[in-house]
Amino acid sequence: MAAMTPKERVKKFMKREPVDTMPIFSGMGMVTVQAINKMGIRFAEVHGSPDYLAKSATLSADIFGFDSVIVPYDMCTIPEAMGRGCSTYANAEGILYPTVPTKWENLDAADINPDWASKARMPVVEEALKKLVSEGKYGVGGWVLGPFTLGGQVIELDLLLKGIKKEADKVQAFMKKMTSVVIDVAKRYQSLGVDYMTIREMGSGTDLLSPRMWKQLIQPYLREIFEALESPKVLHICGGTDLIVEMMNDCGADALSFDQKNNLVETRKKIGNDVILLGNFDPYGTLCQKEASEVPAVIKGCIDAGVDAVWPGCDIWPDVKPENVEAWVNTVRELGKQPSPAVGRL
Amino acid sequence: MASEEKRAEILKNLSEGVVEYDEDRVKEYSNIALDEKMDAYDAIMNGLAAGMEIVGDLYDRQEYFVPEILMCADALYAGLDILKPHLKIDDASGVKGQVVIGTVQGDVHDIGKNLIKMMFDVGGFTVHDLGRDVPLEKFAEEQLKTDSEIVALSAMMTTTMMGMKKVIAMIKEKNPDVAIMLGGAPVTKDVANLFGADGYAESAGNAVQEAIKMIGQLRKLKEDGVPA
Repeated sequence: MAAMTPKERVKKFMKREPVDTMPIFSGMGMVTVQAINKMGIRFAEVHGSPDYLAKSATLSADIFGFDSVIVPYDMCTIPEAMGRGCSTYANAEGILYPTVPTKWENLDAADINPDWASKARMPVVEEALKKLVSEGKYGVGGWVLGPFTLGGQVIELDLLLKGIKKEADKVQAFMKKMTSVVIDVAKRYQSLGVDYMTIREMGSGTDLLSPRMWKQLIQPYLREIFEALESPKVLHICGGTDLIVEMMNDCGADALSFDQKNNLVETRKKIGNDVILLGNFDPYGTLCQKEASEVPAVIKGCIDAGVDAVWPGCDIWPDVKPENVEAWVNTVRELGKQPSPAVGRL
Repeated sequence: MASEEKRAEILKNLSEGVVEYDEDRVKEYSNIALDEKMDAYDAIMNGLAAGMEIVGDLYDRQEYFVPEILMCADALYAGLDILKPHLKIDDASGVKGQVVIGTVQGDVHDIGKNLIKMMFDVGGFTVHDLGRDVPLEKFAEEQLKTDSEIVALSAMMTTTMMGMKKVIAMIKEKNPDVAIMLGGAPVTKDVANLFGADGYAESAGNAVQEAIKMIGQLRKLKEDGVPA
Protein backbone atom coordinates (compact mmCIF):
# COMPACT_ATOMS: atom_id res chain seq x y z
CA MET A 1 0.00 0.00 0.00
CA ALA A 2 1.27 3.47 -0.90
CA ALA A 3 2.25 5.69 2.01
CA MET A 4 -0.31 8.24 3.07
CA THR A 5 0.24 11.87 2.28
CA PRO A 6 1.03 14.06 5.29
CA LYS A 7 -2.44 15.59 5.17
CA GLU A 8 -4.17 12.22 4.94
CA ARG A 9 -2.07 10.93 7.83
CA VAL A 10 -2.97 13.83 10.09
CA LYS A 11 -6.65 13.80 9.19
CA LYS A 12 -7.03 10.05 9.71
CA PHE A 13 -5.02 10.17 12.91
CA MET A 14 -7.19 12.88 14.41
CA LYS A 15 -10.27 10.77 13.63
CA ARG A 16 -8.60 7.77 15.30
CA GLU A 17 -8.62 5.89 12.02
CA PRO A 18 -5.65 3.62 11.26
CA VAL A 19 -2.63 5.34 9.75
CA ASP A 20 0.54 4.06 8.08
CA THR A 21 2.77 5.63 10.69
CA MET A 22 2.70 8.15 13.51
CA PRO A 23 2.36 11.68 12.15
CA ILE A 24 4.92 14.31 13.10
CA PHE A 25 3.02 17.42 13.95
CA SER A 26 1.96 19.80 16.70
CA GLY A 27 -0.89 22.00 17.78
CA MET A 28 1.55 24.79 18.57
CA GLY A 29 4.09 26.79 16.65
CA MET A 30 6.56 24.81 14.55
CA VAL A 31 8.31 27.54 12.61
CA THR A 32 12.10 27.28 12.42
CA VAL A 33 14.89 29.76 11.78
CA GLN A 34 16.05 27.53 8.96
CA ALA A 35 12.84 28.43 7.10
CA ILE A 36 12.99 32.10 8.11
CA ASN A 37 16.60 32.38 6.96
CA LYS A 38 15.86 30.66 3.69
CA MET A 39 13.17 33.26 3.05
CA GLY A 40 15.66 36.04 3.72
CA ILE A 41 13.43 37.79 6.26
CA ARG A 42 13.70 38.61 9.97
CA PHE A 43 11.58 36.77 12.53
CA ALA A 44 9.78 39.98 13.47
CA GLU A 45 8.54 40.36 9.90
CA VAL A 46 6.89 36.97 9.62
CA HIS A 47 3.88 37.74 11.82
CA GLY A 48 2.36 40.50 9.74
CA SER A 49 2.13 38.91 6.31
CA PRO A 50 -0.10 36.05 5.18
CA ASP A 51 2.49 35.08 2.58
CA TYR A 52 5.32 35.01 5.11
CA LEU A 53 3.25 33.04 7.62
CA ALA A 54 2.16 30.44 5.08
CA LYS A 55 5.56 30.21 3.41
CA SER A 56 7.52 29.87 6.66
CA ALA A 57 5.17 27.16 7.91
CA THR A 58 5.39 25.20 4.67
CA LEU A 59 9.16 25.61 4.39
CA SER A 60 9.66 24.38 7.96
CA ALA A 61 7.63 21.28 7.10
CA ASP A 62 9.50 20.82 3.81
CA ILE A 63 12.91 21.09 5.45
CA PHE A 64 12.27 18.73 8.33
CA GLY A 65 9.51 16.42 7.10
CA PHE A 66 6.67 17.54 9.35
CA ASP A 67 3.18 16.31 8.48
CA SER A 68 1.39 19.53 9.34
CA VAL A 69 1.67 23.27 9.34
CA ILE A 70 0.21 25.67 11.86
CA VAL A 71 -0.18 29.44 12.18
CA PRO A 72 -0.05 32.01 13.73
CA TYR A 73 3.11 31.92 15.83
CA ASP A 74 2.33 34.57 18.41
CA MET A 75 -0.36 35.05 21.03
CA CYS A 76 -1.15 38.67 20.32
CA THR A 77 -3.41 38.46 17.29
CA ILE A 78 -6.67 38.51 19.24
CA PRO A 79 -5.61 40.97 21.98
CA GLU A 80 -4.28 43.26 19.24
CA ALA A 81 -7.62 43.06 17.42
CA MET A 82 -9.30 43.98 20.71
CA GLY A 83 -7.27 47.16 20.73
CA ARG A 84 -4.57 46.17 23.20
CA GLY A 85 -1.74 46.74 20.71
CA CYS A 86 1.23 44.59 19.77
CA SER A 87 4.95 44.99 20.40
CA THR A 88 6.82 43.31 17.55
CA TYR A 89 10.38 44.15 18.65
CA ALA A 90 11.25 44.93 15.06
CA ASN A 91 14.75 46.11 15.99
CA ALA A 92 15.60 43.55 18.63
CA GLU A 93 18.45 41.17 18.00
CA GLY A 94 17.53 37.54 17.52
CA ILE A 95 14.13 36.02 18.10
CA LEU A 96 11.55 37.74 20.23
CA TYR A 97 7.87 36.91 19.99
CA PRO A 98 5.38 39.77 19.90
CA THR A 99 3.74 40.74 23.19
CA VAL A 100 0.70 42.73 24.26
CA PRO A 101 1.87 46.11 25.56
CA THR A 102 -1.29 47.44 27.18
CA LYS A 103 -3.89 45.75 29.31
CA TRP A 104 -7.28 46.74 30.60
CA GLU A 105 -6.87 48.22 34.06
CA ASN A 106 -9.54 46.14 35.71
CA LEU A 107 -12.24 43.58 35.00
CA ASP A 108 -14.88 46.25 34.47
CA ALA A 109 -12.82 47.99 31.81
CA ALA A 110 -12.76 44.99 29.47
CA ASP A 111 -14.89 46.34 26.67
CA ILE A 112 -14.49 44.38 23.46
CA ASN A 113 -15.10 46.32 20.27
CA PRO A 114 -17.83 44.59 18.22
CA ASP A 115 -15.82 44.42 15.00
CA TRP A 116 -12.65 43.02 16.58
CA ALA A 117 -12.67 39.92 14.35
CA SER A 118 -11.86 42.00 11.27
CA LYS A 119 -9.22 44.17 12.94
CA ALA A 120 -5.43 44.21 13.03
CA ARG A 121 -3.88 40.89 12.00
CA MET A 122 -6.98 38.73 12.22
CA PRO A 123 -7.41 38.87 8.40
CA VAL A 124 -3.67 38.13 7.99
CA VAL A 125 -3.97 34.88 9.92
CA GLU A 126 -7.13 33.88 8.08
CA GLU A 127 -5.54 34.58 4.73
CA ALA A 128 -2.51 32.47 5.71
CA LEU A 129 -4.75 29.61 6.77
CA LYS A 130 -6.63 29.82 3.47
CA LYS A 131 -3.34 29.56 1.59
CA LEU A 132 -2.19 26.57 3.59
CA VAL A 133 -5.52 24.80 3.23
CA SER A 134 -5.61 25.43 -0.52
CA GLU A 135 -2.05 24.13 -0.96
CA GLY A 136 -3.32 20.82 0.36
CA LYS A 137 0.10 19.35 0.95
CA TYR A 138 0.17 19.23 4.72
CA GLY A 139 -2.33 18.85 7.49
CA VAL A 140 -3.32 22.35 8.65
CA GLY A 141 -3.71 23.18 12.30
CA GLY A 142 -5.32 26.17 13.93
CA TRP A 143 -5.05 27.23 17.55
CA VAL A 144 -6.62 29.70 19.91
CA LEU A 145 -5.74 30.48 23.50
CA GLY A 146 -8.24 29.29 26.06
CA PRO A 147 -10.37 31.92 27.78
CA PHE A 148 -8.33 32.13 30.98
CA THR A 149 -5.01 32.39 29.14
CA LEU A 150 -6.44 34.87 26.66
CA GLY A 151 -7.77 36.84 29.61
CA GLY A 152 -4.27 36.93 31.05
CA GLN A 153 -3.10 38.60 27.84
CA VAL A 154 -5.57 41.47 28.07
CA ILE A 155 -5.80 42.02 31.83
CA GLU A 156 -3.16 41.68 34.55
CA LEU A 157 -3.03 38.02 35.48
CA ASP A 158 -2.78 38.80 39.16
CA LEU A 159 -6.05 40.76 38.97
CA LEU A 160 -7.68 37.72 37.44
CA LEU A 161 -6.16 35.33 39.98
CA LYS A 162 -7.03 37.47 42.99
CA GLY A 163 -10.39 38.32 41.49
CA ILE A 164 -11.36 34.66 41.62
CA LYS A 165 -11.45 35.00 45.39
CA LYS A 166 -12.47 38.61 45.75
CA GLU A 167 -14.74 39.39 42.79
CA ALA A 168 -15.99 36.03 41.60
CA ASP A 169 -19.00 37.43 39.72
CA LYS A 170 -16.87 39.88 37.75
CA VAL A 171 -14.33 37.19 36.92
CA GLN A 172 -17.08 34.86 35.72
CA ALA A 173 -18.54 37.62 33.53
CA PHE A 174 -15.09 38.32 32.12
CA MET A 175 -14.51 34.63 31.43
CA LYS A 176 -17.82 34.49 29.56
CA LYS A 177 -16.66 37.33 27.31
CA MET A 178 -13.36 35.60 26.63
CA THR A 179 -15.11 32.29 25.97
CA SER A 180 -17.32 33.91 23.38
CA VAL A 181 -14.24 35.33 21.63
CA VAL A 182 -12.45 31.98 21.66
CA ILE A 183 -15.47 30.25 20.13
CA ASP A 184 -15.80 32.92 17.45
CA VAL A 185 -12.17 32.68 16.37
CA ALA A 186 -11.99 28.89 16.48
CA LYS A 187 -15.16 28.60 14.44
CA ARG A 188 -13.82 31.04 11.88
CA TYR A 189 -10.65 28.99 11.53
CA GLN A 190 -12.67 25.78 11.28
CA SER A 191 -14.82 27.30 8.57
CA LEU A 192 -11.63 27.89 6.57
CA GLY A 193 -10.96 24.16 6.54
CA VAL A 194 -8.30 23.54 9.19
CA ASP A 195 -7.80 19.85 9.92
CA TYR A 196 -7.63 20.17 13.70
CA MET A 197 -8.10 22.90 16.24
CA THR A 198 -6.12 23.24 19.47
CA ILE A 199 -7.37 25.23 22.42
CA ARG A 200 -4.34 26.22 24.45
CA GLU A 201 -5.39 26.95 28.02
CA MET A 202 -1.73 27.23 28.85
CA GLY A 203 -1.84 29.26 32.01
CA SER A 204 -4.35 27.17 33.91
CA GLY A 205 -2.17 24.33 35.18
CA THR A 206 -1.91 23.51 38.84
CA ASP A 207 1.27 25.58 39.09
CA LEU A 208 -1.19 28.45 39.37
CA LEU A 209 -4.63 27.11 40.21
CA SER A 210 -5.90 24.47 42.59
CA PRO A 211 -7.79 21.55 41.04
CA ARG A 212 -10.91 22.79 42.81
CA MET A 213 -10.51 26.22 41.28
CA TRP A 214 -9.82 24.67 37.89
CA LYS A 215 -13.10 22.79 38.09
CA GLN A 216 -14.95 25.95 39.06
CA LEU A 217 -13.27 28.52 36.85
CA ILE A 218 -11.80 26.72 33.85
CA GLN A 219 -13.74 23.57 33.12
CA PRO A 220 -17.21 25.06 32.51
CA TYR A 221 -15.87 27.42 29.85
CA LEU A 222 -13.76 24.76 28.15
CA ARG A 223 -16.81 22.54 28.01
CA GLU A 224 -18.76 25.35 26.38
CA ILE A 225 -16.00 25.85 23.83
CA PHE A 226 -15.59 22.19 22.89
CA GLU A 227 -19.34 21.77 22.67
CA ALA A 228 -19.47 24.62 20.16
CA LEU A 229 -16.61 23.34 17.98
CA GLU A 230 -16.48 20.58 15.45
CA SER A 231 -14.04 17.70 15.75
CA PRO A 232 -11.14 17.20 15.66
CA LYS A 233 -10.34 19.38 18.64
CA VAL A 234 -7.46 19.25 21.08
CA LEU A 235 -7.05 20.62 24.59
CA HIS A 236 -3.50 21.60 25.54
CA ILE A 237 -2.39 22.72 28.99
CA CYS A 238 1.18 23.47 30.06
CA GLY A 239 2.75 22.95 33.44
CA GLY A 240 1.22 20.93 36.24
CA THR A 241 -1.62 18.77 34.90
CA ASP A 242 -1.37 15.47 36.78
CA LEU A 243 -4.09 16.51 39.23
CA ILE A 244 -6.54 17.64 36.54
CA VAL A 245 -6.20 15.12 33.70
CA GLU A 246 -9.55 13.50 34.38
CA MET A 247 -11.27 16.89 34.41
CA MET A 248 -9.46 17.84 31.21
CA ASN A 249 -10.77 14.65 29.67
CA ASP A 250 -14.25 15.64 30.71
CA CYS A 251 -14.26 18.85 28.64
CA GLY A 252 -15.22 17.34 25.30
CA ALA A 253 -11.92 17.42 23.39
CA ASP A 254 -10.95 14.53 21.11
CA ALA A 255 -7.34 14.67 22.18
CA LEU A 256 -5.34 15.96 25.15
CA SER A 257 -1.89 17.50 24.95
CA PHE A 258 0.53 17.97 27.83
CA ASP A 259 4.00 19.32 28.40
CA GLN A 260 6.92 17.55 29.97
CA LYS A 261 5.66 18.01 33.53
CA ASN A 262 2.88 15.49 32.98
CA ASN A 263 3.37 11.90 34.08
CA LEU A 264 2.13 10.37 30.84
CA VAL A 265 2.26 6.79 32.10
CA GLU A 266 -0.12 7.64 34.92
CA THR A 267 -2.23 9.81 32.65
CA ARG A 268 -2.69 6.99 30.17
CA LYS A 269 -3.78 4.72 33.02
CA LYS A 270 -6.31 7.29 34.20
CA ILE A 271 -7.65 8.18 30.76
CA GLY A 272 -7.64 4.76 29.10
CA ASN A 273 -6.93 3.98 25.47
CA ASP A 274 -9.91 5.66 23.82
CA VAL A 275 -8.52 9.18 23.86
CA ILE A 276 -5.62 10.50 21.82
CA LEU A 277 -2.81 11.68 24.07
CA LEU A 278 -0.15 14.02 22.72
CA GLY A 279 3.13 15.10 24.18
CA ASN A 280 5.33 15.67 25.90
CA PHE A 281 8.94 16.51 25.34
CA ASP A 282 10.60 19.70 26.50
CA PRO A 283 10.93 21.61 23.23
CA TYR A 284 13.79 23.89 24.20
CA GLY A 285 15.78 21.27 26.06
CA THR A 286 15.30 18.60 23.42
CA LEU A 287 15.64 20.56 20.20
CA CYS A 288 18.00 23.38 21.20
CA GLN A 289 20.12 22.15 24.10
CA LYS A 290 20.68 18.42 23.95
CA GLU A 291 23.07 16.64 21.66
CA ALA A 292 21.33 15.04 18.70
CA SER A 293 22.45 11.65 19.96
CA GLU A 294 20.36 12.17 23.10
CA VAL A 295 17.14 13.01 21.27
CA PRO A 296 16.01 9.49 20.24
CA ALA A 297 15.82 8.42 23.90
CA VAL A 298 13.59 11.39 24.70
CA ILE A 299 11.26 10.61 21.82
CA LYS A 300 11.20 6.91 22.63
CA GLY A 301 10.38 7.82 26.23
CA CYS A 302 7.28 9.71 25.08
CA ILE A 303 6.15 6.80 22.91
CA ASP A 304 6.81 4.24 25.62
CA ALA A 305 4.85 6.37 28.07
CA GLY A 306 1.79 6.03 25.87
CA VAL A 307 1.42 9.03 23.58
CA ASP A 308 -0.28 8.60 20.24
CA ALA A 309 1.86 11.27 18.63
CA VAL A 310 5.01 12.90 19.95
CA TRP A 311 4.23 16.57 20.39
CA PRO A 312 6.52 19.20 21.86
CA GLY A 313 5.20 20.56 25.15
CA CYS A 314 4.91 24.07 23.72
CA ASP A 315 5.90 26.07 20.63
CA ILE A 316 9.26 24.88 19.43
CA TRP A 317 11.91 27.55 19.91
CA PRO A 318 12.62 28.49 16.27
CA ASP A 319 16.40 28.42 16.63
CA VAL A 320 16.50 24.62 16.70
CA LYS A 321 19.54 22.50 16.07
CA PRO A 322 18.58 20.97 12.74
CA GLU A 323 20.19 17.63 13.62
CA ASN A 324 18.00 17.43 16.73
CA VAL A 325 14.81 17.98 14.76
CA GLU A 326 15.98 15.36 12.29
CA ALA A 327 16.56 12.98 15.20
CA TRP A 328 12.97 13.65 16.43
CA VAL A 329 11.54 13.02 12.97
CA ASN A 330 13.66 9.95 12.26
CA THR A 331 12.92 8.36 15.61
CA VAL A 332 9.18 8.82 15.16
CA ARG A 333 9.39 7.45 11.62
CA GLU A 334 11.23 4.41 12.94
CA LEU A 335 9.16 3.70 16.05
CA GLY A 336 5.87 5.11 14.85
CA LYS A 337 5.03 2.21 12.59
CA GLN A 338 3.67 0.36 15.59
CA PRO A 339 0.13 1.18 16.71
CA SER A 340 -0.27 3.55 19.62
CA PRO A 341 -2.83 3.09 22.40
CA ALA A 342 -5.63 5.08 20.74
CA VAL A 343 -4.73 4.88 17.03
CA GLY A 344 -4.19 1.71 15.02
CA ARG A 345 -2.02 1.09 11.94
CA LEU A 346 -2.94 0.02 8.45
CA MET B 1 7.79 49.27 74.77
CA ALA B 2 5.12 46.65 74.26
CA SER B 3 4.78 44.06 77.02
CA GLU B 4 5.67 40.47 76.09
CA GLU B 5 1.99 39.62 76.17
CA LYS B 6 1.07 42.50 73.85
CA ARG B 7 3.99 41.74 71.57
CA ALA B 8 2.83 38.13 71.23
CA GLU B 9 -0.71 39.27 70.46
CA ILE B 10 0.50 41.69 67.77
CA LEU B 11 2.80 39.14 66.14
CA LYS B 12 0.04 36.52 66.15
CA ASN B 13 -2.40 38.87 64.46
CA LEU B 14 0.13 40.04 61.89
CA SER B 15 1.04 36.47 61.06
CA GLU B 16 -2.56 35.26 60.92
CA GLY B 17 -3.58 38.31 58.96
CA VAL B 18 -1.04 37.43 56.27
CA VAL B 19 -2.03 33.75 56.24
CA GLU B 20 -5.72 34.61 56.01
CA TYR B 21 -5.02 37.41 53.51
CA ASP B 22 -6.81 39.85 55.78
CA GLU B 23 -5.32 43.21 54.78
CA ASP B 24 -7.45 45.21 57.24
CA ARG B 25 -6.30 43.13 60.17
CA VAL B 26 -2.67 43.44 59.13
CA LYS B 27 -2.99 47.23 58.81
CA GLU B 28 -4.72 47.47 62.19
CA TYR B 29 -2.06 45.47 64.00
CA SER B 30 0.79 47.19 62.20
CA ASN B 31 -0.53 50.48 63.56
CA ILE B 32 -0.98 48.95 67.00
CA ALA B 33 2.64 47.77 66.85
CA LEU B 34 3.76 51.35 66.22
CA ASP B 35 1.45 52.73 68.93
CA GLU B 36 2.92 50.24 71.39
CA LYS B 37 6.45 51.36 70.39
CA MET B 38 7.23 47.86 69.22
CA ASP B 39 10.35 47.39 67.15
CA ALA B 40 9.29 47.57 63.49
CA TYR B 41 11.84 44.97 62.46
CA ASP B 42 10.47 42.56 65.06
CA ALA B 43 6.94 43.10 63.71
CA ILE B 44 8.03 42.58 60.11
CA MET B 45 10.17 39.51 60.57
CA ASN B 46 8.36 37.74 63.38
CA GLY B 47 4.87 38.80 62.38
CA LEU B 48 4.53 39.37 58.63
CA ALA B 49 7.39 37.20 57.43
CA ALA B 50 6.54 34.45 59.90
CA GLY B 51 3.04 34.43 58.41
CA MET B 52 4.50 34.14 54.93
CA GLU B 53 6.48 31.11 56.04
CA ILE B 54 3.23 29.44 57.07
CA VAL B 55 1.86 30.36 53.63
CA GLY B 56 4.85 28.56 52.12
CA ASP B 57 3.99 25.43 54.11
CA LEU B 58 0.39 25.65 52.94
CA TYR B 59 1.64 25.93 49.36
CA ASP B 60 3.89 22.90 49.84
CA ARG B 61 0.89 20.95 51.13
CA GLN B 62 -1.13 22.10 48.10
CA GLU B 63 -3.68 23.80 50.34
CA TYR B 64 -2.75 27.20 48.91
CA PHE B 65 -2.07 27.99 45.26
CA VAL B 66 -0.89 31.12 43.50
CA PRO B 67 -4.15 33.14 43.91
CA GLU B 68 -3.97 32.71 47.69
CA ILE B 69 -0.25 33.51 47.73
CA LEU B 70 -0.86 36.74 45.82
CA MET B 71 -3.50 37.80 48.31
CA CYS B 72 -1.22 36.90 51.23
CA ALA B 73 1.49 39.01 49.58
CA ASP B 74 -0.95 41.93 49.36
CA ALA B 75 -1.64 41.58 53.06
CA LEU B 76 2.08 41.44 53.81
CA TYR B 77 2.68 44.62 51.79
CA ALA B 78 -0.20 46.34 53.60
CA GLY B 79 1.78 45.85 56.81
CA LEU B 80 5.17 46.49 55.29
CA ASP B 81 4.06 49.88 53.94
CA ILE B 82 3.16 50.94 57.48
CA LEU B 83 6.10 49.39 59.32
CA LYS B 84 9.05 49.83 56.98
CA PRO B 85 9.37 53.64 57.36
CA HIS B 86 9.90 53.01 61.08
CA LEU B 87 12.82 50.61 60.77
CA LYS B 88 15.88 51.79 62.63
CA ILE B 89 18.69 52.59 60.26
CA ASP B 90 21.20 50.38 62.06
CA ASP B 91 19.14 47.20 61.92
CA ALA B 92 17.10 47.58 58.80
CA SER B 93 17.14 43.80 58.59
CA GLY B 94 20.61 42.67 59.22
CA VAL B 95 21.08 42.76 55.46
CA LYS B 96 22.29 45.76 53.56
CA GLY B 97 22.17 45.43 49.85
CA GLN B 98 20.73 46.49 46.57
CA VAL B 99 19.08 44.48 43.89
CA VAL B 100 18.06 45.25 40.32
CA ILE B 101 15.00 43.23 39.31
CA GLY B 102 12.88 42.99 36.18
CA THR B 103 11.25 40.84 33.54
CA VAL B 104 13.25 40.56 30.34
CA GLN B 105 12.28 42.11 27.04
CA GLY B 106 9.60 40.16 25.28
CA ASP B 107 7.92 39.01 28.48
CA VAL B 108 5.04 40.90 30.02
CA HIS B 109 4.26 38.48 32.86
CA ASP B 110 5.57 39.53 36.24
CA ILE B 111 3.90 37.54 38.99
CA GLY B 112 7.05 35.56 39.79
CA LYS B 113 9.15 38.69 39.65
CA ASN B 114 6.85 40.48 42.08
CA LEU B 115 6.96 37.59 44.55
CA ILE B 116 10.74 37.57 44.53
CA LYS B 117 10.70 41.34 44.89
CA MET B 118 8.61 40.84 48.03
CA MET B 119 11.37 38.72 49.51
CA PHE B 120 13.92 41.46 48.90
CA ASP B 121 11.57 44.09 50.30
CA VAL B 122 11.02 42.10 53.47
CA GLY B 123 14.72 41.39 53.71
CA GLY B 124 15.45 45.11 53.77
CA PHE B 125 17.14 45.36 50.40
CA THR B 126 16.91 48.49 48.31
CA VAL B 127 15.02 47.23 45.28
CA HIS B 128 15.39 48.83 41.86
CA ASP B 129 12.39 47.40 40.06
CA LEU B 130 12.68 47.94 36.31
CA GLY B 131 9.23 46.45 35.69
CA ARG B 132 8.59 44.16 32.77
CA ASP B 133 9.45 43.89 29.10
CA VAL B 134 12.75 45.53 30.00
CA PRO B 135 15.31 46.07 27.20
CA LEU B 136 18.29 43.85 27.91
CA GLU B 137 20.91 46.58 28.14
CA LYS B 138 18.85 48.37 30.80
CA PHE B 139 19.71 45.71 33.39
CA ALA B 140 23.44 46.23 32.92
CA GLU B 141 23.04 50.03 32.92
CA GLU B 142 21.01 50.00 36.14
CA GLN B 143 23.42 47.62 37.86
CA LEU B 144 26.34 49.86 37.03
CA LYS B 145 24.46 53.01 38.02
CA THR B 146 23.35 51.64 41.40
CA ASP B 147 26.31 49.32 42.06
CA SER B 148 23.81 46.64 43.08
CA GLU B 149 25.15 43.33 44.34
CA ILE B 150 22.33 41.29 42.84
CA VAL B 151 20.49 41.30 39.51
CA ALA B 152 17.31 39.21 39.37
CA LEU B 153 15.84 38.40 35.97
CA SER B 154 12.52 36.79 35.24
CA ALA B 155 11.07 35.19 32.08
CA MET B 156 7.84 33.23 32.04
CA MET B 157 8.18 31.80 28.57
CA THR B 158 10.81 29.77 26.77
CA THR B 159 10.50 32.25 23.97
CA THR B 160 11.92 35.06 26.10
CA MET B 161 14.34 33.12 28.24
CA MET B 162 17.15 33.46 25.72
CA GLY B 163 17.40 37.17 26.47
CA MET B 164 18.66 36.28 29.93
CA LYS B 165 21.85 34.81 28.52
CA LYS B 166 22.71 38.10 26.86
CA VAL B 167 22.00 40.10 30.02
CA ILE B 168 24.21 37.84 32.10
CA ALA B 169 27.06 38.16 29.61
CA MET B 170 26.69 41.96 29.55
CA ILE B 171 26.74 42.27 33.32
CA LYS B 172 29.44 39.71 34.07
CA GLU B 173 31.70 41.28 31.48
CA LYS B 174 31.62 44.58 33.33
CA ASN B 175 31.35 43.25 36.87
CA PRO B 176 31.97 39.51 37.41
CA ASP B 177 31.15 39.73 41.13
CA VAL B 178 27.46 40.55 40.63
CA ALA B 179 25.21 37.68 41.75
CA ILE B 180 22.61 36.87 39.11
CA MET B 181 19.33 35.13 39.91
CA LEU B 182 17.05 33.77 37.20
CA GLY B 183 13.40 32.93 37.57
CA GLY B 184 10.49 31.76 35.50
CA ALA B 185 8.67 28.67 34.30
CA PRO B 186 11.15 27.64 31.59
CA VAL B 187 14.24 28.16 33.73
CA THR B 188 15.89 24.98 34.94
CA LYS B 189 19.09 24.37 36.86
CA ASP B 190 20.75 23.35 33.60
CA VAL B 191 19.66 26.56 31.89
CA ALA B 192 20.87 28.65 34.83
CA ASN B 193 24.24 26.90 34.72
CA LEU B 194 24.48 27.17 30.95
CA PHE B 195 23.73 30.88 31.05
CA GLY B 196 26.23 31.48 33.86
CA ALA B 197 23.71 32.47 36.54
CA ASP B 198 24.26 32.08 40.26
CA GLY B 199 20.77 30.94 41.27
CA TYR B 200 17.33 30.19 39.89
CA ALA B 201 13.63 29.64 40.68
CA GLU B 202 11.50 27.91 38.10
CA SER B 203 7.95 29.18 38.61
CA ALA B 204 5.87 31.70 40.48
CA GLY B 205 5.15 29.05 43.08
CA ASN B 206 8.74 27.99 43.21
CA ALA B 207 9.74 31.64 43.42
CA VAL B 208 7.67 32.16 46.51
CA GLN B 209 9.06 28.99 48.05
CA GLU B 210 12.56 30.25 47.40
CA ALA B 211 11.64 33.68 48.68
CA ILE B 212 10.10 32.27 51.83
CA LYS B 213 13.10 30.02 52.43
CA MET B 214 15.37 33.05 52.18
CA ILE B 215 13.17 35.03 54.55
CA GLY B 216 13.32 32.08 56.94
CA GLN B 217 17.10 32.07 56.73
CA LEU B 218 17.22 35.81 57.41
CA ARG B 219 15.02 35.37 60.46
CA LYS B 220 17.17 32.53 61.73
CA LEU B 221 20.38 34.48 61.23
CA LYS B 222 18.93 37.37 63.18
CA GLU B 223 17.66 35.13 65.98
CA ASP B 224 21.03 33.41 66.24
CA GLY B 225 22.77 36.75 66.34
CA VAL B 226 24.87 35.96 63.29
CA PRO B 227 25.42 38.97 61.06
CA ALA B 228 23.93 38.29 57.62
